[in-house]
Amino acid sequence: MAQRSSGPKYLVPVVLGKALRTLGRLRGGGSAFPGWAVLRLAPDFLQDATAQFAHGIVFVLGSNGKSTTTHMLSEVLRAHGVSVFTNPSGANLPQGIASSLLAEVNLFGRVNADIAVLEVDEAYALELAAILRPTTVLALNTQVDQLYRFYETERVADMMLDTLAVAQTHIVSNRDDPYLSKIDTRFAEKAAVDRPDISYFGVSEQVIAASAHGLVNAHDYRDEAVQTAPRFALAEVTATSKTGATVLVDGELVEVVLPSKGLHYAIDAAAAMAAARVILAERFDTSAAARAFAAMKPAYGRGELLQFGAEQVEFVMFKNAASLQLNLDAITDVPEQVMLAIDEGTPDISWIYDVDFSAIDHVDVITGAKAWQIALCLAHQGIPIGRVEPDLKIAIEFMRGLEKPSTGLKTWIVNYEQMMLARKLIGFGEMENQR
Amino acid sequence: MTVVTVVQLYPGELGVAGDRGNVLALVARLRAAGFTPTVHEHRRDGLLPETADVVIVGGGPLSAMRNIYGDLMANAATLRVWAASGVPFFAYGSGCELLGTSVTLPDGNVLDGVGIFPLTAVRVPERTVGYVVVESTTGRVVGFEDNASRWTLGADALPLGSVSAGHGNGNGFEGVLAGRSIGTQIGGPVLPLNPALADRLVVGVAERLGIELTPREAAASNTTLTDDYAQRAREVIVGKATHVFSRI
Ligand SMILES: [Zn+2]
Repeated sequence: MAQRSSGPKYLVPVVLGKALRTLGRLRGGGSAFPGWAVLRLAPDFLQDATAQFAHGIVFVLGSNGKSTTTHMLSEVLRAHGVSVFTNPSGANLPQGIASSLLAEVNLFGRVNADIAVLEVDEAYALELAAILRPTTVLALNTQVDQLYRFYETERVADMMLDTLAVAQTHIVSNRDDPYLSKIDTRFAEKAAVDRPDISYFGVSEQVIAASAHGLVNAHDYRDEAVQTAPRFALAEVTATSKTGATVLVDGELVEVVLPSKGLHYAIDAAAAMAAARVILAERFDTSAAARAFAAMKPAYGRGELLQFGAEQVEFVMFKNAASLQLNLDAITDVPEQVMLAIDEGTPDISWIYDVDFSAIDHVDVITGAKAWQIALCLAHQGIPIGRVEPDLKIAIEFMRGLEKPSTGLKTWIVNYEQMMLARKLIGFGEMENQR
Repeated sequence: MTVVTVVQLYPGELGVAGDRGNVLALVARLRAAGFTPTVHEHRRDGLLPETADVVIVGGGPLSAMRNIYGDLMANAATLRVWAASGVPFFAYGSGCELLGTSVTLPDGNVLDGVGIFPLTAVRVPERTVGYVVVESTTGRVVGFEDNASRWTLGADALPLGSVSAGHGNGNGFEGVLAGRSIGTQIGGPVLPLNPALADRLVVGVAERLGIELTPREAAASNTTLTDDYAQRAREVIVGKATHVFSRI
């Protein structure tokens, strides 16, 4: 990749952007505004800054698990001595990426990292790929997600397939995803030298069979006859346990500790290792990868344990039916105390009726602006409900008042917005410094 | 205890956004009225049962509509016979469009429908997303709309109601009625949120069978809890209905 010049033309925009960023952070919280301002002043800033990464740029796409996998891949690469630039969880739109880059560049727009691992929103991925020209594109899964935003699941699949197809060097895709697995058919007529290499990650048949609702990937209705075909997986989940998983990477078994329970985290780990394996080639070392997983902290809201008086709160965050179902399926011991919190951050909640809640035997309190709608669904499914209290603050106090559970653990199942608010209410905040 | 057959059409393809909730609510209301409901899920290449007491269908993407289209057309005559004999249909979204006269797709192609609802649907580029409130002859109906469709009703056809918040068919009205049958673009899903609408279908089932429903004893009814939750959820939705989610 050609080294493009950075240089003095970025001095003013970068200084201004950095100043805006500092100001924004002093006022509390990160914002995409500094990134937006820099892009107005220097439209080429993103291309020029990102063209400098010696090991190129990785895009991480998917309906679920983008943040977790971006985090895992970054840590695995770091364990190999590679310095990684990454965007904070949720900053996956162009301005947000520019904003986080500002923290990384010197006054002349120069970056110090070897590689960028970027979580990218599906809807902007192709547009962003035209600017950043990713060397590696990793696509995790296509699940029914944000229909109010995307409507047709296959549209989302196409956004990801189109972005995979423009990877410069490596494509890493999900063998067990009916849509994404078919990326190889796009290159069927092309000679291997004219296209990026394609690698897959996946899950063994036995592990899928043991999962209560399978993988919850979207069904491919436009290719009804073939959902997934047999393909070689460079990284394959062969077993899961309460705290981790076994992943077969290029013939070697790797035992990984996972930041949280659930088959979806094991799959994210396989995806991260498949990507690391193709990026690092022969330098990939399974013991370094295992070390990275063992040292990883849970990401916000994903199996994170927070102190709550003399007790602990386990956050279980979900975004859509698939992630909620996989989280529920990962529950091994029926939780003693459960709070369920959903607000208007999830505009259309109709899909809640597609989720099987039988993994929990009751909910102590349902909260958030959509509390009554959720209660209605759970009542129809016959799940006993202790109390419905739309005000999160009151609901948290109610949870505090419950007798200490024998495990000392309270389970809060939350959407992203309620997770952020709940963290704040019990004295934990600030997300951007997390990585 | 009269056994009644609920036929759900294509629960996989046309059941993509919580349509299972409509089935759950309908079954609960039938049971509360003293019926013993059984649900027959009709899938592609399967066989419809001999008879049906109520038919329910939900929404799904275009590719799913195309997949079940052949099977639907192969069964269209049976469905029309059922409708003509007074079997109530409840149809949401694209499932309703396929039971209408025709659907014009974004590429300009037209799919002929089964012809049970006097409805032509045209897919448009702009999506309509947000809470919706409709005043109907069964009272206020609330829910969440998410579609890119404009519905035009036949000359003598009645809508479900008039829109007081949200978008509906695109001309101030929402949904379509055909005898005892109800078609709508209100999601949420709509039947759990609006027990009265589910009961309207239950009354239709009873009428056709010549059964007189006695008013339910509140104490004996197992729907007190869901009635209460539905009422509270409806109040919140009506309060927020002016909040329109912009297209992202
Ligand atoms: Zn409890």
